[in-house]
Amino acid sequence: MSNFEKMGDGYSLSLTQDEAHILINLVEQLLELLGEGDFFHHYDTSDPLAQLMAMPSEIVTPEDPVLMRLLPNAYADPEASSDFRRYTEPALRGSKQRILRTVREELSEIVDSKVDGVVEELDADIWLVAINDLRIALSVRLEISSESFEKFELMPDEDPQKSVYAVYFWLGWLQENLLTALTS
Amino acid sequence: MSTITESQVSIEQLLDRPWVTIVWDDPVNLMTYVTYVLIKLFSFPAPRAHELMMQIHTEGRAVVSTGTREEMERDVQRLHEHGLWATLQRDDKI
Repeated sequence: MSNFEKMGDGYSLSLTQDEAHILINLVEQLLELLGEGDFFHHYDTSDPLAQLMAMPSEIVTPEDPVLMRLLPNAYADPEASSDFRRYTEPALRGSKQRILRTVREELSEIVDSKVDGVVEELDADIWLVAINDLRIALSVRLEISSESFEKFELMPDEDPQKSVYAVYFWLGWLQENLLTALTS
Repeated sequence: MSTITESQVSIEQLLDRPWVTIVWDDPVNLMTYVTYVLIKLFSFPAPRAHELMMQIHTEGRAVVSTGTREEMERDVQRLHEHGLWATLQRDDKI
């Protein structure tokens, strides 16, 4: 059973093999999605040269609703928003990619070991943001609203959306668990 | 005369209006997470962060910072990095 714990100055997360698989799967899907339409995605976006090559005029408002929620407009005015996006989106996208890559690396160790394991000395802020971005991505696909809890509870088990909701629910639990470890 | 003076003052105030960063409610971000991010990014005391989070939750939005356009753009960017739904605009209040 997954659980965040305070360990010395840092935090650890114990995960079953199944849980590590679910997480790495989602992390990789989101990394892939964040790379779409990003023509320098074969490079490390933190590389100063890659930033240099990112031509501002190529950046447009995303069409995918998950990307639109993760990389939202900063202004109500579309023109001001796309100006802002042109200059800031590579950095925002890069920050999300870096966080997901860190989490992916830490999860790979457990996944490769083929047994349950513990992520030790993890960066709690990185994990919080990563779990949050995964929840946001799933919430857009599940069309989560304030009435969703009842809707999914009443849904028959054989509905494929119900298992996605179960993962979404578990991620919320995991994030709350980390926040409790952080603030207690 | 007084009317003209008043309108001149309000034009000056209009031009001087600061920019604000607004965080909008969404059905996904956990209340504890929103509070945590507000403390982390703006160094609010915990009760103030909690109060702002509740305002976002109940009223649908809250102003979390005020300043120049450049400062607010930086705040919006940091909030987006943390997955909060934020925008900036000129302050509506005169």
